[in-house]
Amino acid sequence: MNTQLLTNRPGIRRSSGGAVNPFRAQYRRRLLRADLLTVLFWASLAGAVALWLADGGMAGFATPAGSFTALGIVAGLAGMDLVLLMLLLAARIPLIDQTVGHDRALEFHRKLGKPALYLLLAHGVLIAIGYGMAEGLDPVSESVALWVLVPDMWLAYISMLLFIAVVVTSLVAVRRRFPYEFWYAVHLLTYAAVLTSLPHQFSVGALFAEGTWQRWYWLALCIATGAALLYFRVVQPVVATFRHQLTVKRVVRVAPGVVSIEMSGLRLDELAGSGGRFFIWRFLAPGLWWHPHPFSLSAEPVHFDAAGQGTLRITVRNLGKGSSQLASLKPGTKVAVEGPYGLFSTSARSRNHVVMVGAGIGITPVRALLESTPFQPGNATVILRGHSESELYLGEEILDLCRRRGATLFHLTGSRPAGVQTWLPEHAARAGHRLASYDPKIADADVYVCGPSVWAHNVLEDARAAGVREDQIHYERFDW
Amino acid sequence: MRTRAAVSAALASAGILIAGWQSGVHVADTGSSVASAAAGTTGATGSSGSSGTSSSSGTSDSTASSGASGAGTTGASAKAVGTYPGSVVQTRFGSVQVQITVQAGKITDVTALQLTDAERKSVQISNRAAPILRDEVLQAQSADVQTISGATVTSEAYLNSLQAALDAANL
Repeated sequence: MNTQLLTNRPGIRRSSGGAVNPFRAQYRRRLLRADLLTVLFWASLAGAVALWLADGGMAGFATPAGSFTALGIVAGLAGMDLVLLMLLLAARIPLIDQTVGHDRALEFHRKLGKPALYLLLAHGVLIAIGYGMAEGLDPVSESVALWVLVPDMWLAYISMLLFIAVVVTSLVAVRRRFPYEFWYAVHLLTYAAVLTSLPHQFSVGALFAEGTWQRWYWLALCIATGAALLYFRVVQPVVATFRHQLTVKRVVRVAPGVVSIEMSGLRLDELAGSGGRFFIWRFLAPGLWWHPHPFSLSAEPVHFDAAGQGTLRITVRNLGKGSSQLASLKPGTKVAVEGPYGLFSTSARSRNHVVMVGAGIGITPVRALLESTPFQPGNATVILRGHSESELYLGEEILDLCRRRGATLFHLTGSRPAGVQTWLPEHAARAGHRLASYDPKIADADVYVCGPSVWAHNVLEDARAAGVREDQIHYERFDW
Repeated sequence: MRTRAAVSAALASAGILIAGWQSGVHVADTGSSVASAAAGTTGATGSSGSSGTSSSSGTSDSTASSGASGAGTTGASAKAVGTYPGSVVQTRFGSVQVQITVQAGKITDVTALQLTDAERKSVQISNRAAPILRDEVLQAQSADVQTISGATVTSEAYLNSLQAALDAANL
């Protein structure tokens, strides 16, 4: 699209002589969206507190008991608002995904977990103290009285326990000790936690009494969040699955422990151009169907006819129990698909020049990006890293693509030097090479990095040292 | 660019908070006038003596000591015609006190002298619950009626105060 823009208007050139950067406008729009999302985030929190202010909430501070209750109400409003924002961040909404990327959205989602929990806990404690003081009760007796006497409150207590369970199991340290499936199942309890918290907000919460506009606002917020989750996480994947009718065509061994899975399907032209963006695949075979696999396409879909009938391909390495089963997939297995998600694609570009660095199985998204992202010959550098040549998966295809499109290709193989933080193999590190040694124009390039996280962080450090700014760096975690 | 986001977010949030606060000041005034108006219509008698200044004991439905048994408690004869105020019951949403009118041993009317009015929500709840409770009590001729869902605290306080009034009327 962007290359077309250039050829349609070839006369536009900067007075300085440099080519017009077709990605500049796209980059500006993305920044604007990011800023807009930031504003919306804070505005929604302010809005939650404003609901209470608009109800004359400040009057509560006239008495000590009222002050506790008032603070408790504010904590509850802000906490619930954060919970809704967390759900929206995890809803895979295209606007968010195309602005900050899936991994950053989830990272932010994780960061909000603890503040949300603390606010909700504060809500419960402060209200118990405030109500208790108003009646001359200690907070514990008041909590018991609330549980027993006020309708819907027992649900709120259950909700609180569920929230604690969800946040505690989600904390990374704990997550490591449990299998992913357990963590995932507990995470589904979030929905139960939110649902059980809703009744008391509308029946006991004074703010959302019938007939108040606050009630409508809050209801709209909750319903919109639920609708977004339902649409983007359930309806769209189901529709996409039926639309593309993917079935496994064959499984090809690429290297030891690495297989390419070819799938045939319909309307594959709609999936073209996704570059290194990832899809979530579920192979509908016994014991496999419930396990989601995030992989990007390792090649642009090939379609044979106008109906988009054709094949596409993903390339997978045995990283976990789930991935290893994929090598034995039977042809004909139906495949459910969601996506594409993420920003490892042309839509993240901000410059003419592009540098792509991939290691191990992280080479496959680089392969897909290289195939589809626009650049003029000489404006792209591809660096592949592996222990040996055989670990540079799809190396032949990438070499071929680089020849055709005019990109510079480097193969960096060999072990890391011991005890040194570097992403380079020993001989290159000894020779004093840096990222800038491979592409002198890197400071004015988009840098895409995909590979194991420790390695990737070393690449990113090197890139920053070479003068690459944060907004030029496109790194997507894929070991989650 | 990040500064742009920070400044816009700060301005937007401040604007929303100030707008909320301003309309809140306004609502607080009208809110209290609604509450006092409600109190004015119900509490026309002068009998609500102890308006619950002492913090009550027990749970939300506990009864405080009865107010001055003023008004029309003429004697204690079972068949007497008159009005009997119930006890003042403290709840976290305000005090509740009802008064019954008895004629020939039957409850002919229940008047709310005070209803929960701590917040606007409480006033709404009271306005909704009181007429229903009154009808049910008149029908059942006792305090043995269902509480109104969503107004449990108000209902229980109402019925407790009513029971005290029934006791006073020897019904």
